[in-house]
Amino acid sequence: MISAILFLLVLTFLFLGVPVAVSLGLSSLIIIIFFSSDSVSSVALQLFKASQNYTLLAIPFFVLASAFMSTGGVARRIIRFAIASVGHFKGGLAMASVLACMMFAALSGSSPATVVAIGTIAIAGMRQVGYTRDFSAGIIANAGTLGILIPPSIVMVVYAAATDVSVGRMFLAGVVPGIVAGLMLMIAIYVMARVKNLPAEEWKGFGEIVAGGKEAGWGLFLIIIILGGIYGGVFTPTEAAAVAAVYAFAVALFVYRDMGPMKGQPWIAEDASPSARIGFSGTVYAVAFFFVFMILSFFATADMDGVTLQGRTLVGLVLSLGVMFAYIIWRGRPHGDVSILGALRDSLPVWGRNLGLTARNFFPAFFAEDTRKVMVEASRTTIMLMFIIVNALLFAHVLTSERIPQTITDAMIGAGFTWFTFLIAVNLLLLLGGQFMEPSGLLLIVAPVVFPIAMELGVDPVHLGIIMVVNMEIGMITPPIGLNLFVTSGITGMSLLQVVKAALPFVAVLFAFLILVTYVPMLSTWLPYSLMGPEIVTR
Amino acid sequence: MALLWPSLALVVLVLLLFLAERRYPAAVARMEENFIASLLAIITLVSFVQVIARYGFNSGWGGALEFTRIVFAWMILFGMSYGVKNGVHLGVDAFVKLLPSRLFRLAALFGAFATFAYAFLLLYAGWLAWVGVDISSNWRQSGAIGYWTFMFDRGTGLDDLRYPVWMQDTFGLQERVQRWVAYLMLPIGLALLAFRSAQGFMQIWRGERELLIAGHEAEDLVAENRDALKE
Repeated sequence: MISAILFLLVLTFLFLGVPVAVSLGLSSLIIIIFFSSDSVSSVALQLFKASQNYTLLAIPFFVLASAFMSTGGVARRIIRFAIASVGHFKGGLAMASVLACMMFAALSGSSPATVVAIGTIAIAGMRQVGYTRDFSAGIIANAGTLGILIPPSIVMVVYAAATDVSVGRMFLAGVVPGIVAGLMLMIAIYVMARVKNLPAEEWKGFGEIVAGGKEAGWGLFLIIIILGGIYGGVFTPTEAAAVAAVYAFAVALFVYRDMGPMKGQPWIAEDASPSARIGFSGTVYAVAFFFVFMILSFFATADMDGVTLQGRTLVGLVLSLGVMFAYIIWRGRPHGDVSILGALRDSLPVWGRNLGLTARNFFPAFFAEDTRKVMVEASRTTIMLMFIIVNALLFAHVLTSERIPQTITDAMIGAGFTWFTFLIAVNLLLLLGGQFMEPSGLLLIVAPVVFPIAMELGVDPVHLGIIMVVNMEIGMITPPIGLNLFVTSGITGMSLLQVVKAALPFVAVLFAFLILVTYVPMLSTWLPYSLMGPEIVTR
Repeated sequence: MALLWPSLALVVLVLLLFLAERRYPAAVARMEENFIASLLAIITLVSFVQVIARYGFNSGWGGALEFTRIVFAWMILFGMSYGVKNGVHLGVDAFVKLLPSRLFRLAALFGAFATFAYAFLLLYAGWLAWVGVDISSNWRQSGAIGYWTFMFDRGTGLDDLRYPVWMQDTFGLQERVQRWVAYLMLPIGLALLAFRSAQGFMQIWRGERELLIAGHEAEDLVAENRDALKE
């Protein structure tokens, strides 16, 4: 009875255009006031406590990291790397767009941001070499949904907070399915490209892959910090997210120099001599190698005895010096007159200029207008998400205190559901719900109801999470309310109906992927469980 | 009557904001933005420094975790009203947009009213007793204002967060930071939310604004890049 009133209130509010957060919060509040002995003070306090959730504290950091990485410059570097890697196949540019979306998804937890950042560059590029507009828009709309499946993913953090599954395992669980989904899309493109005889880019050689990788690598290292830190047991996910946010800030302002006071300042002046250029690159690689080595060895050896900081530093120094000499000798040979010492000496002024530049602009970078804009943008997104999440937690609390999940669990098991039919029901429920609700809010409402049933039926908690995320993905590209459809139609100027039609063939691929993920648990559970051991659910 | 002074203080705060905004709308908007952005920056920097201090130097600040969590809550609670003002909050607009224009306006007004009711009920639900609802008549249990006042009277401290020693000495403060300091943003945030939604209600009433909500989360992003690829 109470549950019927609760759901009726929420749905009525939602469809009347009340904000999602308020629909959930106000309905819960009404139920508590009229049917429960809890005081309103305790609800208000719960609002505060829910806003303090430690797991959810990772969300603003991931949003911030993704905001710093969502500039056009990062997207362009990633696309260059992607084209160099797979561009030479038939339909290569389209496959490269999918690959670029996958890599961008690893920097940003948001699908619409992926569509805008990669889409604005990639669709224009595809049009230039003769792909149809529908084909290119359809690919981007679909590949953009990978944003929430490939870690770091905000939806996964929310699932973890709602069900007490570990965030680290969820992130690792998203890796294999994310790659499989990307590969499936690429294979579909390759087949279509063979049939339609779409153009291929020329093969520019491994040098271009390395050059592209070097540029994109600064950004992509973000995902290593996050996954490496969590997997190595060094950081909690929230700490990893905080480090990632600061790293993204540093890369965007001080390394890529896409924004802020040093915007557009090149690292090496145009007229530098080959000797200075080689010497500078060599030392940069040495320094970068040293830090990467230190960070990775820190993650890898965190719980090993007998490995000291001094020991690691010594090994790191020797190896990075080796890298430096090898690079200078290798690159210096064609120029003949470049000696190691000469190159190092010539690189000093370049270092001096860049260090001076960084030091002068260090504090201005924190207060630059560009930085402020990104911070405000990230705060807005965080507030929008968290207001919904906090109220959804309130709603979930009312659900559990009215013992609604238990009632539904008993009914479902009494009706003879097995894990197989149950997962179909979950898929249908989420696909339907995904049409009307923002993913993290929907997840928080559905998870408390579905999770106990799943545990009762022996479904793996991490696997269930991945199923839910993939369902949300599909919800983003199916009408009437598919977020990626809106965004794609917005940036291309196509009508919504045109985008829906354009996306349809690839939606079919993602549906096949959903079925695969739902009935092959190994896909999700293999990586996290072999690295971190199984998830233990205590109830 | 225990709630008279805190309630009055909230009313004064809202009035001041209202007046300041009439005079300097751009400055107030920028101040709001800077406030939430600074809170986000503080959380990020404190967490980052704490990670470095813990893993790099085996030290750290014991109150860091509690501090960041409180600032995070402040950001959300303050941000609620900011979100209403700037139309950031999500809602389902697909159905109301199908309605004839008079009903659409009615639904939009209802959306703003519901948000106001949410904030007001959480601030003070005691008035429900006057209309005959069976609700506890104890002011401590009547909502955010009541709870805050209760905490203010009690002066209970937080778990880990302490005043710096020089502050304890100079101002004769107790050792732990009082809970009411942390909870301060709860009534303030809700009062601002009530104010902004009432303001939104008036704007819709006068026809200056269409809806309180955003249809989807990427509206700004799309607006910025609208037709970037149109041919």
